[in-house]
Amino acid sequence: MDLNKLRETAAGIVSREDVKYLIGWRRGTFGYRVSPYFIEDAAGVEELIFSPLCISNLATYLTLVERLPVPRGQQPDERKVALLVKGCDSRAVNQLLVEKGINRDRVIVVGLPCPGMVDWKLLAEKYPETEAPVEMRWQGDDFLLVHNGQEIVVPRAEALAEKCRLCRHPNPVISDATVGEPVQPWEPAEDSGVGEIEAKSAPERWAYWEEQFSKCLRCYSCRNVCPLCYCEDCILDRLNPTWVNRAFNFSENTAFHLARAFHLAGRCIECGECERVCPAGIPLGRLNRKLAKTVREEYGFEPGLDAEGEPFQASYRPEDPEEFIL
Amino acid sequence: MTEKPKVGVYVCHCGINIAATVDVEAVTEYAKGLPNVVIARNYAYMCSDPGQLLIKEDIKEKGLNRVVVASCSPRMHEPTFRKALQEAGLNPYFLEMANIREQCSWVHEDREAATEKAKQLVAAAVSKARLLEPLTSREVDAEPSALVIGAGIAGIQAALDIADAGFKVYLVEKSPSVGGRMAQLDKTFPTLDCSACILTPKMVDAANHPNIELFTYSEVEEVSGYIGNFEVKVRKKARYVDVSKCTGCGACAKECRLAGRIPNEFDEGLGKRGAIYLPFPQAVPAKYTIDPEKCLFLTRGKCGKGPKCVEACPAGAIDFEQEDEIVSFRVGAILVATGFDVFDPTKKPEYGYADYPNVITGLEMERLVSASGPTGGNIVIHNGEEEIVPKDIAFIQCVGSRDKSVGNEYCSRVCCMYTAKQAHLVKDKIPDARVRVYYMDVRAFGKGFEEFYDRVRREGIRYVRGNPSEIFRRGNKLVIKVEDTLTATPLEDEVDLVVLAVGLEPRRDARKIIELLRLSQSPDRFFLEAHPKLRPVDTATDGVYLAGCCQGPKDIPDTVAQAKGAAASALIPLARGKVAIDAQVAEVNEATCRGCGFCVSICPYSAIELVTVNRMGHMVEVARVNEALCKGCGSCSAGCLSDSIQPRSFRDRQILPQIAALGGTR
Repeated sequence: MDLNKLRETAAGIVSREDVKYLIGWRRGTFGYRVSPYFIEDAAGVEELIFSPLCISNLATYLTLVERLPVPRGQQPDERKVALLVKGCDSRAVNQLLVEKGINRDRVIVVGLPCPGMVDWKLLAEKYPETEAPVEMRWQGDDFLLVHNGQEIVVPRAEALAEKCRLCRHPNPVISDATVGEPVQPWEPAEDSGVGEIEAKSAPERWAYWEEQFSKCLRCYSCRNVCPLCYCEDCILDRLNPTWVNRAFNFSENTAFHLARAFHLAGRCIECGECERVCPAGIPLGRLNRKLAKTVREEYGFEPGLDAEGEPFQASYRPEDPEEFIL
Repeated sequence: MTEKPKVGVYVCHCGINIAATVDVEAVTEYAKGLPNVVIARNYAYMCSDPGQLLIKEDIKEKGLNRVVVASCSPRMHEPTFRKALQEAGLNPYFLEMANIREQCSWVHEDREAATEKAKQLVAAAVSKARLLEPLTSREVDAEPSALVIGAGIAGIQAALDIADAGFKVYLVEKSPSVGGRMAQLDKTFPTLDCSACILTPKMVDAANHPNIELFTYSEVEEVSGYIGNFEVKVRKKARYVDVSKCTGCGACAKECRLAGRIPNEFDEGLGKRGAIYLPFPQAVPAKYTIDPEKCLFLTRGKCGKGPKCVEACPAGAIDFEQEDEIVSFRVGAILVATGFDVFDPTKKPEYGYADYPNVITGLEMERLVSASGPTGGNIVIHNGEEEIVPKDIAFIQCVGSRDKSVGNEYCSRVCCMYTAKQAHLVKDKIPDARVRVYYMDVRAFGKGFEEFYDRVRREGIRYVRGNPSEIFRRGNKLVIKVEDTLTATPLEDEVDLVVLAVGLEPRRDARKIIELLRLSQSPDRFFLEAHPKLRPVDTATDGVYLAGCCQGPKDIPDTVAQAKGAAASALIPLARGKVAIDAQVAEVNEATCRGCGFCVSICPYSAIELVTVNRMGHMVEVARVNEALCKGCGSCSAGCLSDSIQPRSFRDRQILPQIAALGGTR
């Protein structure tokens, strides 16, 4: 990754009159952490980075932005927002466009072909977090870690994030500008990482999810980080009717997670953010990937590949299967 | 509504329909104990005048403000009871029905269990009734005109009836002439009157009627709006002939370089035409049309030294510069009469239709025996070696009908009789012919049908009960292998001509109409009527009516009867000048709607659109329901992730307590 080229491109974009800011990443304050970074002028691009640690999906900030009431006589700020996207992130942008969650004229997509991201939790045991931020780069197929001043080559298999192992679209599927050469997609596991659970019997699966959902704190981080959970008034927050009670116990937690999973069926673009931010370590990605797999295999549909396409829930073909629908 | 709910519960016996399986007394007693129930009664027939009177009097005397009727399906009597409420001065939407007949007494045998279930259904209905809100329906003006799609006998008849009643009709036909399938037929069963002779006066009437605007060689391109107010766009395809100048003299067709070289669709390909043609002599309008897919000048830009038709035309009517024209208009009602296609017998390869020129379809036989047909009515066929007058003729019935293997389980209703008629005509024209009919069953159900079938058999036509398994060629004959199932004898029959009584199928391009008008199909793929018995000409889309074979196979009298019925139905909104808009439609919470448009794509009635609204200074898109189009089906609600669109009277906060009551928790 040629960071200079990226910074040059970013500087060109943020200098434009019609651009509000560019959303990218910069080094975090310690260890493996990387922060989202909102750049409003060209001077800011010096801190911009793109490394194997930039796993977070910035597309969520497109809809997360608060729309404050505009005082009478004033106009809302309608300048464009520029966004750095990896392959998975770009699918979120497409899906938002399909759902009219964002306006194509008001977003500039900068595509970054992605060789795969690191799950730092896999590294932390061997190479503990340090007070100073660590640096990581891609080196051939592997990763190069600069840890306590030492350059360490970390084999790809050792640190590659699960969602990246299962990735089918490492290159951005929508972009106004691309920085870097397209990467060669790799063969993802066919079972989307859900085979292990599918192999269990129904009571075993129930026991598995009972254990997982019982851990849930109902902090709603998974919902809040999701680029596609952006209803201003979420049904889970409503009291009349109360779809999900506020108590956190297995029953209510299950209702919450299943409602979330079903709301994302045919919409989830498998960026893995829900699982990444979960403080309780619930494998939420498996839940979403199971539904994504069903949608892909039964309906031949993958969300987020075509910005002009029809939404999955709101379209049909006469030959759609229905034998597994009760 | 701040007023405390006062619910009356009325349990119907429906004679013994309900009372034999459900203990209505017990249900009534149970209902009395439900929250907010002021009174509960039961009666033999709640829908009868005295039954309704009970409700009306209680509303007045006991001050009821909610009514629960436990009886049949709301599809049956909801309008009846709503009217009763209204007559007693209560908002008609304060009614809730508990279906204890179709969903309880009719489907259960155990009286005790059925009674328990009826109690639960009543409890659920009471729960919901308490939360009902008053709704007001309104009326909008209806455009006093109609669109009729398809100008076969159904479309022509319907158009004439509506036009005679004094309303404007736009009659759209996709082929160059009106007349449809009936124009292709020779004689009609069982009376043997000449099809063209009874049809052509109607064709001419339709063309000349002051209230009918005829669009031939045209297709409906776009329909929007709703009952009373449809916006229609019609594409008038270029004929490349100025119809105001063309006199129909035919000089052009004689000179066309392709004259006699293109199979004529009207003759089912048996006759030949040129690139400029009149489909048949009695065509209305009698104007020539250039086939843009065949004409040398239009396809290659060159026709010898110049198109000969242009030179030949004394009126100078030929205009190669002509372009398609789009015409827009508004109508209050739409009548669909798009007819049928015949079964494609190549799907039954054992009959050799694709292989032998002397295996033909029933419709081809019609052209062959017709005086206006390619042979002038002489039955002459080519047996692969020479032209002959066939002496041994076999008819095979149920080709593509009553046949699961080709996906058509239904009976096409006309093949038995048209076969009998054609057998008669063959015998008439070739008196020494030997004619056999291979059949499964003969269905001679209509007026005069059985008599005709008897007459044909007395004429020496032999009916053999058996479904042929194979047809193959031996010498210059065709051999039919068949088992006579009445005597269990395997037979081989050598014949000169086989006529396949092909069944009727929906139009191959029916999907276009389905998408245009949001119609549904029944399992046989014909257009679905709103109710098989009580609303046979209506569709699920208000203001759209069906006539003729597009709704299912039928003969000419049935088609005409249905066309007249559909015309009468279409005349209701036109004559009233107003249409009522149901109040039980979907409503959007614009404050929570995120404008994703899922509901817009989902809505089967195109009733929802996205509009831009100002939300705290931000211009955002939200869904909006056109109440005139919405049927309250709730599909939008099921697809909405933020629960922002819900049908009135079926809101979450009304349905969830209903479900809870069913579960016995509330």
